[in-house]
Amino acid sequence: MENSGIGKLFEGVDRWTVLIYALIVLIGFVSITSASYDDAGAALFSFSNFYMKQLVWMGGACVVAVVVLLIDASLYHKWAYLFYVIGLGMLVAALLFGREVNGAKAWFEFGSFRVQPVEFAKIATALALARVMSSSSFSIDRPGDLFKVGCVICLPLAVIVLQNDTGSGIVLVSLLFVLYREGLNKWLCIPVLFIGALFIFSFLLTPLTLLVLLILVCTLSEAMMNGLWRSRIVYLAALALGSLTLYFGMLLAAPGRLSLYGALLSVTLLSLLVVAVYAFRSNLRNIFITMGLFLAALLFVPTTDYIFNSILKEHQQNRILSFLGLKSDPLGTDYNVNQAKIAIGSGGWFGKGFLQGTQIRYGFVPEKHTDFIFCTVGEEWGFAGAMVLLSLFCLLIFRLMRMGERQEEPFGRIYCYCVAAFLLFHLLVNVGMTVGLMPVMGIPLPLVSYGGSSLIAFTIMLFIAVRLDASTRQFGFR
Amino acid sequence: MNYNADGKVRMRTLQLVVLLVFGVIAARLVYIQLIDSRYEELARGNTLRSEVLYPARGEVFDRNGEYLVQSRECYDLMVIYRELDRAGFDTVRFCQVTGITPQALRRELANARMRPRAPRMILNFMSKEEKLRFDECDFHGFHTVYRTVRQYPRKVGGNLLGYVSEVSPEQLKRYPSYQAGEYIGVSGVESAYEAELRGKKGVKISEVDTHGAIKGSYMQGRFDSLPVPGSSIVCTIDARLQLFAEELMAGKVGAAVAIEPATGEILMMVSSPTYDPDELVGRQRGNHYMELLYNKRQPLFNRAVSSPYPPGSTFKLVQGLIGMQEGVLTPSMRYSCHEGYQVGRLKMKCHAHSSPLDLYFAVATSCNAYFCYVFRNILENPKYGSVKRGFEVWKEYVESFGFGRKLGSDFLSEKSGYVPDREFYDNRYRRSWNALTVLSLSIGQGELGCTPLQMANLAAIIANRGYYYIPHIVRSVAGRDSMDRRFYERHYTKVEPRYFEPIVEGMWRSVHQEGGTSRGAFLPGLDVCGKTGTAQNPRGKDHSTFLSFAPKENPRIAISVYVENGGFGAATALPIASLIEEYYLTDTIRRPWLVDMVKEKTIYYPAYGK
Repeated sequence: MENSGIGKLFEGVDRWTVLIYALIVLIGFVSITSASYDDAGAALFSFSNFYMKQLVWMGGACVVAVVVLLIDASLYHKWAYLFYVIGLGMLVAALLFGREVNGAKAWFEFGSFRVQPVEFAKIATALALARVMSSSSFSIDRPGDLFKVGCVICLPLAVIVLQNDTGSGIVLVSLLFVLYREGLNKWLCIPVLFIGALFIFSFLLTPLTLLVLLILVCTLSEAMMNGLWRSRIVYLAALALGSLTLYFGMLLAAPGRLSLYGALLSVTLLSLLVVAVYAFRSNLRNIFITMGLFLAALLFVPTTDYIFNSILKEHQQNRILSFLGLKSDPLGTDYNVNQAKIAIGSGGWFGKGFLQGTQIRYGFVPEKHTDFIFCTVGEEWGFAGAMVLLSLFCLLIFRLMRMGERQEEPFGRIYCYCVAAFLLFHLLVNVGMTVGLMPVMGIPLPLVSYGGSSLIAFTIMLFIAVRLDASTRQFGFR
Repeated sequence: MNYNADGKVRMRTLQLVVLLVFGVIAARLVYIQLIDSRYEELARGNTLRSEVLYPARGEVFDRNGEYLVQSRECYDLMVIYRELDRAGFDTVRFCQVTGITPQALRRELANARMRPRAPRMILNFMSKEEKLRFDECDFHGFHTVYRTVRQYPRKVGGNLLGYVSEVSPEQLKRYPSYQAGEYIGVSGVESAYEAELRGKKGVKISEVDTHGAIKGSYMQGRFDSLPVPGSSIVCTIDARLQLFAEELMAGKVGAAVAIEPATGEILMMVSSPTYDPDELVGRQRGNHYMELLYNKRQPLFNRAVSSPYPPGSTFKLVQGLIGMQEGVLTPSMRYSCHEGYQVGRLKMKCHAHSSPLDLYFAVATSCNAYFCYVFRNILENPKYGSVKRGFEVWKEYVESFGFGRKLGSDFLSEKSGYVPDREFYDNRYRRSWNALTVLSLSIGQGELGCTPLQMANLAAIIANRGYYYIPHIVRSVAGRDSMDRRFYERHYTKVEPRYFEPIVEGMWRSVHQEGGTSRGAFLPGLDVCGKTGTAQNPRGKDHSTFLSFAPKENPRIAISVYVENGGFGAATALPIASLIEEYYLTDTIRRPWLVDMVKEKTIYYPAYGK
């Protein structure tokens, strides 16, 4: 009680999280310095250097963090939808009036610096999701509520995809992590992941195989959920028999008019009517979810070829193809990833030391201070340095999960998990692409990559979680 | 409560997922950073550029210390596209100063634009004057790089000295110490003494960035080294004699070789037609090379060491020596000759001279019949039982004179010539042959093939009265005490020295006595000994050859001249040899009219299609 106002303000703030955050940002600053330091170039402290700019952004981030901590925690709950609408509005505005960078119309430009609204839309989506899912009448098993959740996630996703910034959009899919924590049936998670994988690998398979796999996955996951095995197997057998009969019947009646794929597809679609009636009468509403998933996947997967060829840009197609090893071109698409791997691989145990990384300094690694910043860490600080950074991130994610678990309100818990999910996904995709585990998607390494809007956005995102956590603990102490 | 417990399980599951994600990334890092060492090498390959510093090739001097081959500085003109003036530069002036055509300049600049930070060569073999003139103009973005090329102040000895060229892909495979773009000696001295002349490359390792621009030296130059220039070489050649001989041989196809008998040093070696070695240096090298390559007289072929010629009458000297050693001939033995040697239907013609005659006069006047008798006596020596056995003995003698085998000189292109063996005739005549069948060997015709170097060596053997040093072209290499020891050893023939005097006497009389065939080779006070040869051949007029040494006692020069289709030995080869001897021994020319006559004499060669 004798604490001053400021001390009270920071009461309950999770010191570990702040410490880890500070360490990561510091590592980021050192790496950016190394990646953009040019001994022949401008003066050491000139503001044309990326590291000097980053220093300014770091100062800004400190101010923003304090401001976030100053705002009352309940406001975030109250204004969640407002933020969401503002975020969506910004995305649409960027789509309409924004500036195109690297083919993606996802940037606002104010004078000399650029802001990517996606970074802030992520926070808004997380808040909105937390708000929706924390309402007392919400039940994740109810299809209607699940539909709301789907809308909250898919609306910004759709706008981002329209902006041609698919890489950033896919980040939102990581919210599945949160849905699982909140009790989403795992037999829904698994087919979603599986369909995602099918999407990536769809051009390796024929449409018929894809369709059969889809039917099998959906039916089996539904069977796992409801446990009525016998009738599902009968249903599958009926599908097979029906489609074969149709196929051979057509073969006799009008040869060449109907392929096996067409036969199976039409029989399955027809059967969906029966399934819907069955679901309605037996009151197994979750069958509708599976059906919806199947139809959505059907729309997506057989049309992947179309999406792949017309919606994805050529460089994105190449990235996926080269990741899958279908196309090798050392000086083209593979070049970036190869050079990134060379830089990291040449680091060895303890790296080459600060400012000694030849691959980074002599420009072999592209985007070395932004998306490929991890190469700097890997080359100059070696395996040890990379593991330190990764461990810090791992600790941060665990910390966030723990903060989420100790919240009394579901709102805070869901929000913390959202932040953890975003961090994990960014990390997996960004580091994964530099070491050749993931295709190149162009999303930054949070808090480390150079970039003001990314740093500020992640700071806000993280400190809202800290604020929510702190207020819980303040209440707890009281 | 149930919900809470479920939530715990799900949290644990998610923690596991997080750990799994980090585990996969960490495992991947372990693999690429710690296990797979490939990336380190790739990184080194990315950033390190070793620039080779080429050493200056060793120089070659003649026996009097005159330059035969020099290293001339020249410059490659390089451009770094990025450093060019943005506003453009005065291309008209540039083309004027450098002599490059505007089209070529445009093409080269377009190429340089591909890697704008990397230096690219746009012009090579700039002379020092051109370079200085260019430097004055101060064009931005251009610089010159120092290199050395060969230069031949005397412009002699094309085949003798050989030439250098860039290493071919096959040579690169065979000699891993060479790198593409380096020069290697191809023939002659350049090739035989490649190891000495080459020197040692230096290296400068720099770090480069992704654009190929140099960022500094690697590890402060710890692994850099300076180039070590090649050792200079002193040749046995007399440059002035060589030049004189090349002038005399111009317009004729053939070869002339002169040896110092006391040492085996080659004083002069001409393979005609020859070429200006400077033509095989510089920008026009490719064109000149192709011209030489497709010239039907084959100037690139070193006839002096590679071309097997029938020795003709000069070979009679060998027959006489073998005959005496075998005891079937004494100098005073007389045979009669009535314009030839006749057994049954076989007739070996001879020219008109007095008869009967002894060995001295037979050598002097080059009597065919006399040496037919000698040769028959050698082969039909009852000591050996059969002609074939006798032939084998004869062949052993011939080979001891250096015929039919490589002498082991320092010419890599040296050929062995040809002396037929018993099996050859057994196959050709189905085992039924005798001395008469192979009678043409007696006068150096038939299947015999001798290189001009072997013939000059024969002259040296006779001058030395029975031994020779292996002919060689290099006297010393800087930094080495001696040459290969084989050049310092006397090689004796199977004929004892005492049998040489009569032959020497015969050769002396050939020059000095009435009826001798070599009268034209007389030089007052020099006691020249000589032997003419006229070799029949299927390709037209007789080949003209002359074999000589001088003076008679303590000879200083032994020489063999061979002119294809030159007619009588005395007609073409003899004046050339005589003039060379005179020039070498007295340093003066007393017969300028003869020099003019020889120089003006050109022979028509239908066989070479020109």
